[in-house]
Amino acid sequence: MSEVKNTLDGKAETAAETIVCPENLVYAKPKLMNDQAMHYCPGCSHGVVHKLIAEVIEEMGMTNRTIGISPVGCAVFAYRYLDIDWQEAAHGRAPALASACKRLWPDRLVFTYQGDGDAACIGTAETIHALNRGENITIIFVNNAIYGMTGGQMAPTTLLGMKTATCPEGRRADIHGFPLKLTEMAALLEGTAYVTRQSVHSVAAIRKAKKAIRHAFENSMQGKGSNLVEIVSTCSSGWKLSPEKANKWMEEHMFEYYHVGDLKDTTAHLHD
Amino acid sequence: MSKIKGAVVVDVNRCKGCNLCVVACPTQTLALTTNEVNHKGYAYSYMAQPDACIGCSSCAIVCPDGCISVYKTPRPAARPAAAACDAPVAQHEPEKVPSVPADAEEGEVLLMKGNEAIAHAAIRCGCDGYFGYPITPQSEVLETLSELKPWETTGMVVLQAESEVASINMLYGGGGTGKRVMTSSSSVGIALMQEGISYMAGAEVPGVIVNVQRGGPGLGTIQPSQSDYNQATRGGGNGDYNLIVLAPNSVQEMADFVDLAFTLAFKYRNPTLILSDGVIGQMMEKVVLPPYKPRRTEEEIAAECPWAANGHGLEKRGVNVITSLELQSVEMEKRNLHLQAKYKEIAENEVRYETTDCEDADYLIVAFGSAARISQKAMSVARQQGLKVGLFRPITLWPFPTKEIHAMAAGKKGVLAVEINAGQMVFDVRAAVAGQAPVAHFGRLGGIVPSPDEIVEALISSFCH
Repeated sequence: MSEVKNTLDGKAETAAETIVCPENLVYAKPKLMNDQAMHYCPGCSHGVVHKLIAEVIEEMGMTNRTIGISPVGCAVFAYRYLDIDWQEAAHGRAPALASACKRLWPDRLVFTYQGDGDAACIGTAETIHALNRGENITIIFVNNAIYGMTGGQMAPTTLLGMKTATCPEGRRADIHGFPLKLTEMAALLEGTAYVTRQSVHSVAAIRKAKKAIRHAFENSMQGKGSNLVEIVSTCSSGWKLSPEKANKWMEEHMFEYYHVGDLKDTTAHLHD
Repeated sequence: MSKIKGAVVVDVNRCKGCNLCVVACPTQTLALTTNEVNHKGYAYSYMAQPDACIGCSSCAIVCPDGCISVYKTPRPAARPAAAACDAPVAQHEPEKVPSVPADAEEGEVLLMKGNEAIAHAAIRCGCDGYFGYPITPQSEVLETLSELKPWETTGMVVLQAESEVASINMLYGGGGTGKRVMTSSSSVGIALMQEGISYMAGAEVPGVIVNVQRGGPGLGTIQPSQSDYNQATRGGGNGDYNLIVLAPNSVQEMADFVDLAFTLAFKYRNPTLILSDGVIGQMMEKVVLPPYKPRRTEEEIAAECPWAANGHGLEKRGVNVITSLELQSVEMEKRNLHLQAKYKEIAENEVRYETTDCEDADYLIVAFGSAARISQKAMSVARQQGLKVGLFRPITLWPFPTKEIHAMAAGKKGVLAVEINAGQMVFDVRAAVAGQAPVAHFGRLGGIVPSPDEIVEALISSFCH
């Protein structure tokens, strides 16, 4: 950890000193998330989702039995930040890699980490078929309705009316088609055990999202079928809003189209 | 009960000043600096009102960069640790001890198609997984595996994928964990796989790909062809890379080359391609299947593949990442130079070929795969007519036996490249012969296999005027 600082004036620092000691520690970055600075923009949802995954893997005691598959997109470098074994997939193909990994290593925790362009556009076939086969994997699907890495172009999940670099006057159904509800599609598939849509814009939402990820990971280890955890997310840079305003915009616009909550849980009776 | 007091410690130089912690704080403890920035130039979060902190962790929970540690006094009673994961469910592991599939006695001579031999050989050489998509003329590979059900004997996984794109990426995923994995397809499907093959080459993932070629371009025909020679020997996808390419000319070699392909793939951490064609895939011939070899244990895989991303021994060896990505040009060049050095080593050590009656020959036919079989007959027809013809059969198409052909071509009156295509390998042959003798090409297209008589006629018309 680099240089730490509590407060700007020494007085307050002294006051805090009595509290800041190892036995009083109640929250810290998970160990599995290393100290390398992440390349994400300030306020990016990816960081929170990374943290949750790290916490869940740690809590499940699966650090040396996990294989993560990173996508093409902003999270392409996910492998730099969580200290587990990773494979970096071709654009959209993560579920194919994950299917093979899990079938060949049934006792491993296998998950993919994908964005909307990756999972819901170029990789739709791989996503749908892996889920439909009931592969015992989890797809973490980060949906921020935009292509962040390439500079803010229209995504399959871009909302109608939403402006991007390739629909500068707003997405139009007659030209661009409709935003794709991948998660609703996944809920229709026989192979899925748990399909949920979460967000990470508030403390409460983050706590729920973590539970969802844990439930999905556990399902995959118990051979219950495939799991999709969509995280409706922000992209401050792509949306051209401050992180705070992006969260508000997401609440006001994204949730209206992408309803947050469980869409399907075949194991619901087991974890009330 | 004493008043709850909290404090936060911000990893200042990790902070990006996104302000989300400030917004999340219910007691207005935090603020962003207004006159100071961190090493990266960001205003950062700090306790502006330290006395207000109640140690609720909201700031740390919402922090996307994990910059904040939270302390609280009195510390709440520790919650019971979350239960570790339940026992995993094995899906494909056989319940009984892996056994020899009851398909043949040791050394027994069987009659089967080349495609079937590939399937049998895969099971017998300890293959861990096969991923494929049906396409003529190679569908018997997946069909045979589905019938043999190796998941019940050796524990080998067999999966029909949704596309060749998925198949090759399953190969990438499986190979990246150090498993012996294989896919097969025919020309059109292999074209679809090029993305994944390039990734495998870039990330140095071993795996075996079988191409039972059919005629193209496009959907082309389901009849045999050798028109994927260029694609196979020049990489095929984007970037500077090579595959090790083996060209079987019999059902026996279809069976034998599977294990060889795996051995080479793992020795060099490089995908290996078995370039067959519709003739070899579909024809029935006698074959002795290779001896049974058990699948490797997890420990054996870890020993052979210390680079593999499978979690094994992570705490000792550190993180393994399989990737072809490198944004720093200097590093990417290094990576490319490493690959080139590896290809050079392969080219020096792994050239394979076969010669028949070349020494006394005036003329040389160079042909691979099924074209070499037909050329063998053409050679004897020509010799009956008084033409001394020899046959040079490259077995590895990459690395190509350039030096060997060069040596053999000295003093010959002509070298004829016979291929079931419009003239692809002939360029490599011409480069190898290097002006020592005239070089010509003969081939048929559209799925037509040339006859021995046609080859002899082509030889005469090319060189005997």
